[in-house]
Amino acid sequence: MTTETISGVIGISVSGIIEKHAGDRGGLISILQEIQSRYGYLPAEALKTVAEQTGRSLVDIYGVATFYRSFSLKPRGKHLTSVCLGTACHVRGGAAVGEKFKRELGVAVGETTADREFTLETVNCLGACALGPIVVVDGHYFSNVSPVKVKEIVEKAKAGLDKVEIFRDQRIFAVEVGCPRCNHSLMDSDHPVDGYSSIRVTVSFGDEHGWLRLSCLYGSYTVESEFKIPPDAVLNFFCPHCHTELIGASSCPECQAPMVPMIVRGGGVVQICSRRGCKGHILDMGGSLPF
Amino acid sequence: MERLKSIDNFKALQRRILSDVNPAIPTIVISAGTCGQASGANDLIRVSKRELLSRRLTDKIRLRITGCQGFCQMEPLVVVQPYGTFYPHVGVKEMSRIVEAVAAGQVLRDLLYVDPETGAIIEKQDDIPFFARQTRTILRGNEKVDPIRIYDYIESGGYSALMDVLARQDPPWVIEQVKASGLRGRGGAGFLTGQKWQMLADQRNGRGKFLVCNGDEGDPGAYMDRSVLEGNPHSIIEGMLIGAYGTGVTSGVIYVRNEYPLAVKHLVIALRQANELGLLGSNILGTGFSFDIQMVKGAGAFVCGEETALIRSVEGKMGEPRQRPPYPVQKGIDGKPTAINNVETWANIPAIFTQGAGEFAKIGTLQNTGTKIFSLVGKVRNTGLVEVPMGITINEIVNTIGGGPAGPARIKAVQTGGPSGGCIPAKMFDLPIDYQSLAQAGSIMGSGGMIVMDENTCMVDVARYFMNFLKDESCGKCFTCRKGTQRMWEILDDITQGKGTASELELLEELALVVKDTTMCGLGQTAANPVLSTLRYFRQEYEHHIREKRCSAFVCKDLVGAPCQSACPLGTEAWRYVAHLARGEYQEAYRVIRETNPFPSVCARVCDHKCESRCRLGTSGSRPVAIRALKRFITDHVDPSVFKAQPRVPTSPDNPRVAIVGSGPAGLTAAHYLSLDGYRVTVFEADQEPGGMLTSGIPAYRLRRDVLQREIESLLDENITLKCNTALGRDFTVDTLFKQGYKAVFLALGAHKSRRLNIEGEDLEGVYPAIHFLKEFNLQGKKLAKGHAGIIGGGNSAVDAARVALRQEGVESVTLFYRRLRHDMPALKEEVDLAIEEGIQLETLVTPVKIESRDGRLTGIQCVRNELGARDASGRRHPVPIRGTEFLRSLDTLVITIGDEPDIDYITSMGIEINERGTLRTDPDTLATSRGGVFAGGDVVTGPNTVVDAIAAGKKAAVMIGRYLRGEEMKPTEPVRVPQVYVAPCGISEEEAGGLRRAEPHTLPIELRKRSFSEVELPLLDEDAQSEAKRCLRCDLEFTEPRASEPELATAGVKTV
Repeated sequence: MTTETISGVIGISVSGIIEKHAGDRGGLISILQEIQSRYGYLPAEALKTVAEQTGRSLVDIYGVATFYRSFSLKPRGKHLTSVCLGTACHVRGGAAVGEKFKRELGVAVGETTADREFTLETVNCLGACALGPIVVVDGHYFSNVSPVKVKEIVEKAKAGLDKVEIFRDQRIFAVEVGCPRCNHSLMDSDHPVDGYSSIRVTVSFGDEHGWLRLSCLYGSYTVESEFKIPPDAVLNFFCPHCHTELIGASSCPECQAPMVPMIVRGGGVVQICSRRGCKGHILDMGGSLPF
Repeated sequence: MERLKSIDNFKALQRRILSDVNPAIPTIVISAGTCGQASGANDLIRVSKRELLSRRLTDKIRLRITGCQGFCQMEPLVVVQPYGTFYPHVGVKEMSRIVEAVAAGQVLRDLLYVDPETGAIIEKQDDIPFFARQTRTILRGNEKVDPIRIYDYIESGGYSALMDVLARQDPPWVIEQVKASGLRGRGGAGFLTGQKWQMLADQRNGRGKFLVCNGDEGDPGAYMDRSVLEGNPHSIIEGMLIGAYGTGVTSGVIYVRNEYPLAVKHLVIALRQANELGLLGSNILGTGFSFDIQMVKGAGAFVCGEETALIRSVEGKMGEPRQRPPYPVQKGIDGKPTAINNVETWANIPAIFTQGAGEFAKIGTLQNTGTKIFSLVGKVRNTGLVEVPMGITINEIVNTIGGGPAGPARIKAVQTGGPSGGCIPAKMFDLPIDYQSLAQAGSIMGSGGMIVMDENTCMVDVARYFMNFLKDESCGKCFTCRKGTQRMWEILDDITQGKGTASELELLEELALVVKDTTMCGLGQTAANPVLSTLRYFRQEYEHHIREKRCSAFVCKDLVGAPCQSACPLGTEAWRYVAHLARGEYQEAYRVIRETNPFPSVCARVCDHKCESRCRLGTSGSRPVAIRALKRFITDHVDPSVFKAQPRVPTSPDNPRVAIVGSGPAGLTAAHYLSLDGYRVTVFEADQEPGGMLTSGIPAYRLRRDVLQREIESLLDENITLKCNTALGRDFTVDTLFKQGYKAVFLALGAHKSRRLNIEGEDLEGVYPAIHFLKEFNLQGKKLAKGHAGIIGGGNSAVDAARVALRQEGVESVTLFYRRLRHDMPALKEEVDLAIEEGIQLETLVTPVKIESRDGRLTGIQCVRNELGARDASGRRHPVPIRGTEFLRSLDTLVITIGDEPDIDYITSMGIEINERGTLRTDPDTLATSRGGVFAGGDVVTGPNTVVDAIAAGKKAAVMIGRYLRGEEMKPTEPVRVPQVYVAPCGISEEEAGGLRRAEPHTLPIELRKRSFSEVELPLLDEDAQSEAKRCLRCDLEFTEPRASEPELATAGVKTV
């Protein structure tokens, strides 16, 4: 892709972000936060677009972007590593942990490794002071970290911290569900996913309408579908038996999209997010009150 | 969710929620705030759901996922309600068992909390000392609700206070109540909240006003706001609603730190639910009252906690503070009147209206009402959030609730108030916690961070840490703050690197005062506090860094080098011989040991291994390298002849002669090094054998006699003459020595007189002072113990005496009587363990009061039991006798070992001064006594001390006596240097090292050792020694590793694997 097309793409999505935060308090900061969460940093093109569309000078925007510690003007690596240097972490050896990360990754604080895998940052306090020294990698907290554990943390991050061994991990278990309206089982034993009976529902998105099979393993996010679903698309879910739309009163704690309720055999309600790729879910035991 | 249209609607909903709850059903509460999740709470949630489903228990057990409940140290933790059963440190397997037990109505005793002080098992949360001494008004709310479920909050009584306020329709009454409660802002300054609200209400309401919740909890080390935002967001929303109703405000803002993702998530959900239910928005419950709350996320700037900076940040600008007045309550967000309160302040509002302002004001003190949450973190046993009434002492928080120090090191200070606060020394722990007292002590309440610091915390490093933080966070608007914090940091950095000077210290103090006086906002005005308060209470630490170039906390790495080396009084390069051992280079390792230590085999057995207690592996959560056991391995495996001591000056009959009095480790070491320098030395020994306490005090099962003799003989060369059975004061005097032509004298007499208990009956038959008892056996073979033997004391001599007694024929039992707890005993822990293994009984918390006798012979001892009172200067809790608990124990032998002192009453007549402790007065730099040409060292100067300290004194004496004899300047010896020699690491990665367990030497089987004097500790096996040596973190490499040419790569940890 040429630079022009990149800036073109950024321009379009940045416009959307600016529009979304039009009425917000702290508007500029929330715009920059969302741009950063999308790209991992603040691309120069994006800042120019923000300046053009909000009518604030680029100097002003650059000022805000450099005043606050959490903004980065440089692209960051795949894995963001934050070493907490709060007082409690410091007195328990946080500085030595930071030094060890510097040596292990071969970069200074605020820099990204040459292979774009890791960015090393320090943070003034993450508020988990009782368990310090704390290190957060890709949103995963590591407590009571000592320099000896640094290498292991880096290795784990490389392997993927979200990766779970679904057949070996005892935190993963099968959940059988049914339609909250007709109480008919949604389990499909003929088409297993992850080796277990799948949960079969019908979904629609735009003009498309077809089946979707979800893994029944709580903690696995494997899905198969009849048509290709673009990431971030919000789907409508239906019961394949009574054809009622599966829609509840609540929205996703992660992304605010509507939640899809299903009743759990054995008691309770499970709700999953209707947005493709979002891992938001709530499993209520015996929950007659979804709220 | 259906939108509620009236107060009656709400009440109907509340009734419905409560009627759906079956109080007979137990609830499993899993605490899953950030601390909990960081410790694995999410796994517990999944496992408990799996168990509930598979066991078909979903309608028999309720599961509640809550925020943090305060005892973060015990995370992940589970509480079973309504019983209050508390399970700390729950793992995945334990979680399954807990579900099963709850279903069966059982309690799993093996998983309950164990009080580390008493060993008692405690079932209920409220009975655990950490909780029992708190007043948990706010934090208890966290346990009762799942923060993402508004119905949970309503079930626990939430929003009822708001309903009362709305029903009353009297906004001024709301402000009056808050005034009557006496609530002060919990953000730090302690401004009266009611007064602030009144000022806001009094502002003309033309264009709207704002209420703000300040959740920019930037003080590093404080996290109570996070816990409330995460754990009970609706309590803040309810507080703000009440405030808005009272002050007539329609817009609210909650400003949250970006670093708290879980708080942001829970707040978003809570705000949405409150909106959907109709508790936020316009015309709330049909009352005509409207209020909206928007959440604004901070972007990482400490200064945004300052209210004017926060306002600029809410406006989407750079968070630079501005001059006040106008105050925000006059001109705030968008120029409109704005009142800003901290998270904890808001959380207190519903509590005031629920319990009534009058009741609230009864908690705490007159000027400081209510409770305050502190985050008790750092070097304390129980870390977590504690909520206590205002006015409680620091001592109660740190020592009672916090349980005292986290490890063996003593607590030195607490830091309160974050970077704007200060350090309060342990001697001031009786200070009550309130806004005024803390300010007088040079600190502030701040938002409530309380960081405990112990002897392993360097106060200069702490000041440097805060200044580094402040120089980064200074917004740069005021010149004196921007440059002043930078310059202060540079000076502090110099001091921690050993480059500081006394004049720089003066400059630092001056700078601190200038910054304080010439800056605009709170950040600048308080920026000097960390420096000023540490200078006020810990000036000697600064001076130690500047003058001695030493960091006694072993923190400042340029002054410490490798901790094992700098901890050793001899400066032995422990890292270096451990590295050689790991590489299989045993002879090289031996040479490294012998280079600095003339008694390698002795120290390999009886050294108190200060190197291990400072080993960075041990201070960073693992167990230290077993350095002494490795030294033993080397000395056992290598023939001492591989090291040849090289005389530095050839011997000549004309060289000056030196007299050394005492042939213990100090005397013999001095003799050895003086001999190498060509001096002729005569060593006088009062007993019949050389070795001092090594021979007469330490039993053979700890130090083999042949090993000791071989090592002593190796030091006695042709320059040294040994004269035994010759005692100072009896056979000769200092004057006679000088008359005989000795040019210098070194007094290394040791401490051979036992202290007395000063109770009746100490001179009875059957009662012996420790030294007498041990000497009679070690030198003469006399077995004084018989029947039932008792030993009073807790030091190494006590344990030695007990184990020697046990090994004497005719002894039926041996009991050690000690006045405190086992872990307070000054004796080496491993020795105590071995003694108990051998069958010695330990009676702790007892003090002897009377020795019983019949016909002039001991029959028993009367003791009184103690309880532990307040902590004394040593950081240990002081034993206090309990009246009426006296008891009698029959004994046939009693050994009193409560400490030794030098036997030198006669010495003042020789012109040598004694100090108030009864030991010889010397110049610590030169070891010179008050008489010219006479030097002294070892126990006779320090009182009973370790072998390695005595050897160090002997080495120093040799240097100083040499200088004296040559007429050179008597300057102090150089401090230990950072590692200089590069020893390539051998091929093992650090995580493998992390996986290795500390190798403990095996001991002789109990049956073989109980009645014999064979050596108890056995050498490590080859493979154990190798793997133990490989656990070493190699702190030396940071100083010695060859650096690559590029500076960036130099820090990249180049490993030659």
